[in-house]
Amino acid sequence: MAGSNEVNLNESKRVVPLNTWVLISNFKLAYNLQRRPDGTFNRDLSEFLDRRVPANINPVDGVFSFDHVDGATGLLNRVYQPSSLNEAQWGMVDLEKPLSTTEIIPVIVFFHGGSFTHSSANSAIYDTFCRRLVSLCKAVVVSVNYRRSPEHRYPCAYDDGWAALKWVKSRTWLQSGKDSNVHVYLAGDSSGGNIAHHVAVRAAEADVEVLGNILLHPMFGGQKRTESEKRLDGKYFVTLHDRDWYWRAYLPEGEDRDHPACNPFGPRGRSLEGLKFPKSLVVVAGLDLIQDWQLAYVEGLKKSGQEVKLLFLEKATIGFYFLPNNNHFYCLMEEIKNFVNPNC
Amino acid sequence: MVLYDSATLGGSCSGSSSSSSSSKPPPLQQRQQTQQDIDGLLAGAGYRVRSSELRKVAQRLERLETAMVNSPADLSQLASDTIHYNPSDLASWVDSLLSEFTQPPTCPSEFIMDPETNQTVVSDAWTTAEPHMPQVHQNISYEQQSLNNQLTVVTAMEEDSGIRLVHMLMTCAECVQRGDFSLATSCLEDMQGLLTRVNTVCGIGKVAGHFIDALSRRIFQGIGGGTINGGSAYENEILYHHFYEACPYLKFAHFTANQAILEAFDGHDCVHVVDFNLMHGLQWPALIQALALRPGGPPLLRLTGIGPPSPDGRDSLREIGLRLAELARSVNVRFAFRGVAASRLEDVKPWMLQVNPKESVAVNSIMQLHRLLGSDLNRNSPIETVLSWIRSLNPKIMTVVEQEANHNQPGFLDRFTEALHYYSTMFDSLEACTVQPHKALAEIYIQREIANVVSCEGSARVERHEPLSKWRTRLSGAGFRPLHLGSNAYKQASMLLTLFSAEGYSVEENDGCLTLGWHSRPLIAASAWQAVSDGTADFPA
Repeated sequence: MAGSNEVNLNESKRVVPLNTWVLISNFKLAYNLQRRPDGTFNRDLSEFLDRRVPANINPVDGVFSFDHVDGATGLLNRVYQPSSLNEAQWGMVDLEKPLSTTEIIPVIVFFHGGSFTHSSANSAIYDTFCRRLVSLCKAVVVSVNYRRSPEHRYPCAYDDGWAALKWVKSRTWLQSGKDSNVHVYLAGDSSGGNIAHHVAVRAAEADVEVLGNILLHPMFGGQKRTESEKRLDGKYFVTLHDRDWYWRAYLPEGEDRDHPACNPFGPRGRSLEGLKFPKSLVVVAGLDLIQDWQLAYVEGLKKSGQEVKLLFLEKATIGFYFLPNNNHFYCLMEEIKNFVNPNC
Repeated sequence: MVLYDSATLGGSCSGSSSSSSSSKPPPLQQRQQTQQDIDGLLAGAGYRVRSSELRKVAQRLERLETAMVNSPADLSQLASDTIHYNPSDLASWVDSLLSEFTQPPTCPSEFIMDPETNQTVVSDAWTTAEPHMPQVHQNISYEQQSLNNQLTVVTAMEEDSGIRLVHMLMTCAECVQRGDFSLATSCLEDMQGLLTRVNTVCGIGKVAGHFIDALSRRIFQGIGGGTINGGSAYENEILYHHFYEACPYLKFAHFTANQAILEAFDGHDCVHVVDFNLMHGLQWPALIQALALRPGGPPLLRLTGIGPPSPDGRDSLREIGLRLAELARSVNVRFAFRGVAASRLEDVKPWMLQVNPKESVAVNSIMQLHRLLGSDLNRNSPIETVLSWIRSLNPKIMTVVEQEANHNQPGFLDRFTEALHYYSTMFDSLEACTVQPHKALAEIYIQREIANVVSCEGSARVERHEPLSKWRTRLSGAGFRPLHLGSNAYKQASMLLTLFSAEGYSVEENDGCLTLGWHSRPLIAASAWQAVSDGTADFPA
């Protein structure tokens, strides 16, 4: 690991508030205990340590949630909606009417992060994040509980994401606007961002309309070591060593990081030129060691003639959006709000 | 079910918080103050850390990281052998990991070497590059939150007639709450009609049918319980046994409680288990066998089983006791059994249990405490009486398993709604069982619970389920402190599920307790407790 441990710890301490540092360091520590050097994963310990919250049909701070489980696959989606202004309707889910017949209500299909391995849709950090998304961006959020590695490798997460997208698009109660359509955006942080990209490609190829992609420090990589990886290795909570572990756990056995799932615009990647791909908002944290891959992704989209906006937050670390105690968080929410409500 | 606010926004602290659940004033002024100090943002992430302790926790995290980097062998041992407890309490979790390290790490955390000047400087590194957002609203006031928020969990179902049925059920329940029985009756008729067009073999149709029945019962037969509570003890035992076989809830309860009792009895040679509801004694063979195998040999085990009296002259308690004695003999565990026949738990007096001062006592309550929550306004509520004499026994451990639901709310509609969602989920989980007659009889078992929650009131309503958060407040207020169930219990519960149950069941850790649920909805919660010694206990610790 580059740099001495003490120096690295102190670096990260300088750039985030104390409670954020405690939160992310705690994750780092817990995750270290869960990953085994031989590539296996202590799933029991991981589930035990993960903090979970149930859904709540009663609105809390203007947002309510409920879970839907697909009987055939066991795939769980957690739906978050703004509460009705009519208090008499609280505590009930109306699955017969659309969200609105006049205005457009964006539906964000969200894929949580965790490097394909950690967390769930009902993890406290992600439940809280999705609730904030609903409040601040005036959207409906559907959080997908995709299958994780190493038990379920590529392409399971993408398959589950695709299934969730199709489910969302076919719900009449998620429709809005005069055109009675489900106005879908795909979003995700870290591995979730990676999933959003690949599901969007599948959607474009199948002519299923996705209005936009929101990628929050998405997890991409490649065989070669980039400058940012060498410079920032171990400095801000994340090491190359753990990144490598997660790719080995997700990609098919024997594959390297130039596999197109990991490196979509790399030597084995493909151009998206000519594809009806959604516009993208790509958020890059300036202290994230894999930013060079994320910036290369943005370039790849541009070269394919696709619309992309880069939001580069120079002094942000990974996970800056978990706690609303910094300007990056509010900046991000504002950008997302504008991205999904283009007419406001 | 933990109230959303107290679990996630403030952490579910033991001690007083919610003003609605307990009639007693908060036991310690101090506890109340420290609750206000909890970092609200970390609470939203599921962690309970006092703001005043943040810096200390950070330092410990740092020390732990350094120690782990310096000795990777310890790391892998930490990862595989250590038993973890209560991860929500971050400070103690980190401390417990630190204490596992053989060598105390020597990294000084207050002072660092400035790499450029080689001078030690005080580490005051918690500055943000950008101006802080103002700290308003970051520390949550519990009282405020718990008054406003009430949790109901639902899994959505989408068949059209299913949705309509649910709406009609709610309307009917609302009429009942308002006392408009004629409108309620016509709702019932409409629903009966709709039921004929809905698949009643599974899903919402099935559970809706039971709720419609329960509502009918309430409207036409009144709230005295009638035939629902009139089922014989023998019938109840049969249904219970099938419920035990059809789904993992009771197995989980027994298994988790036994694990905790086994650990509590470690090193004790005379042990006494008091079972608040013996039934067929299904829980005890496993404990007897585990005690037989423990290193150092088994203790002398006494089991006191409480159960309803048998009307037909049989002494069914004694029969169970004899069977268990037979088993104990076959594995060389010295064993004594005593049956205590009582129709209600509150009729049991501690002297009936004949607890010996020299023995270690475990009190085991599987879905019994909630039955004591109906209050008789003339005297002390039964729960307080019973908890008080449990305390007087000074048990080494009290294992408590309860339905994780809020079925004891004063408002009928609230109760009804909560029950509808809870039992829908439970029925969903039962679909995974294909073995008959277990499944059919298990459904009748659950149906009786539904009928009791919906159609009974007063002393007839015994299924007064309350969520973990309320039990924590109640038990802490009654002088008990939690014994945390750890990652080993969790792991074994998970294994049990994999071996014996269908996919879809999930075990979760909740602030030192374990819950078992269907998908993301906890349905049953297991916890362990010990009496706080205050010098007035009847028996020495």
